[in-house]
Amino acid sequence: MYDLELDKAVQEIKRTKAKLVCIQLPDGLKPKAKEISDEITSKTSAKVLIWLGSCYGSCDLPIGLERLGVDLVISWGHNQFRKEEW
Amino acid sequence: MVRTIFIEGKYSEKVLLSNDMLNYLKGKKYHTLGLFASVQFCQQFDSVKQQLEKLSIKAATSTAKRCAVEGQLLGCDCSSDALNLNKDVDAFLYIVDGNFHPLALAYGQNWNNVFKEIICYNPKSNQFTVLSKKDVETNLKRYKGALTKFHSTGNIGVIISLKPGQEFYKKSLELEKKYTDKKFYYFVDNEVSFGQLENFNFIDVWVNTACPRIALDDSEMFRKGVVNLKEVLRAEVF
Repeated sequence: MYDLELDKAVQEIKRTKAKLVCIQLPDGLKPKAKEISDEITSKTSAKVLIWLGSCYGSCDLPIGLERLGVDLVISWGHNQFRKEEW
Repeated sequence: MVRTIFIEGKYSEKVLLSNDMLNYLKGKKYHTLGLFASVQFCQQFDSVKQQLEKLSIKAATSTAKRCAVEGQLLGCDCSSDALNLNKDVDAFLYIVDGNFHPLALAYGQNWNNVFKEIICYNPKSNQFTVLSKKDVETNLKRYKGALTKFHSTGNIGVIISLKPGQEFYKKSLELEKKYTDKKFYYFVDNEVSFGQLENFNFIDVWVNTACPRIALDDSEMFRKGVVNLKEVLRAEVF
C-alpha cells in the first residue's frame, strides 16, 4: 500500500559504497523491517542495523551512530523539513 | 551527523473519497476547504480536488512553515502562524491514516473565536472522523494554566533535546535576557523522560524546547506544567 522504494535504497547504498546502514522506520512501517533488511543484504554487501527507537519525523533522526561506524541512514515515512528559526 | 536519505513511502493506491465522505461534505454545504495531507498522499491532490469540484467545493492549500511540499502539514506546525494559508476556508480536509498530524490544525486555531472543523479522511479504511474544539480543549486549558504559572514563578526547568531537528539550546538562552527575575535550570535528554521530572522538585514549571506537541499532547505528564519556548520568548513581559 505504501511504496517502500527499495530500489532507491539499494541504489543509494551502492552509490555511496556504504558498509554499515541504519534503517529507521515509523511505527506503522516497523513490521516491514525484515523485508527491507533482507532486500538490502541480498542486493548489497552492506550490514544493516535497524533503529529500535522512535521515528516521529525527520526532526527525530538517530544520534550517536558514528560510534558504530554507520555510514548511511535511510529514514522511511518522512521527508526533509525546515527547522524553524525565529 | 551521518549521511541520511529520506524515503517518503508514497501511497501507491488511488485516494478515492467514499460516498459517506462525499455525502457528509454535501450536507455541510461547504464552499471552500483547506486541503492538507501527510506527505504520503500529497501527490494525489489533483485527483482529490477533482472529486471535490464535482460537489462544487473548491480546495485551498499552502506550504506550511516547516514543510517542503505544498499541502503537507506536519504535527509540529501547530501554531496559529504555521499554515501560511491566505484564503478563507469553511473547514479543513486532511488526508491521513492517523490523528497526530491533523490535530496540529486544531491546536493552530487555539486563540481563534471561530473554530473550523477538521475532517480527517483515511484512504486505507475509507473512513472519516471529524475533529472539533473538544478534542484539544483539555490540553489547551492545561497549557494556558502553565503559561500563567510561568509568569508568576521563579525556578524554571528548560528541557533541551539532543535530537538535531529539535535542539534549540542556544535559542533557549535568550530566556535569561528576557526574564531577568527568574532562575533557569537546563536539562538535557534524548527523549523527554517524564518519569524523571518529579525528581527535580525545585522546579516550578517546565519550558519545552523540543517538539512543541510535547507541551500540548503530553501536558498531563508534567505535574508542574509545561509551556513551549516560542510562546514564552514571544510573550509580552509586564
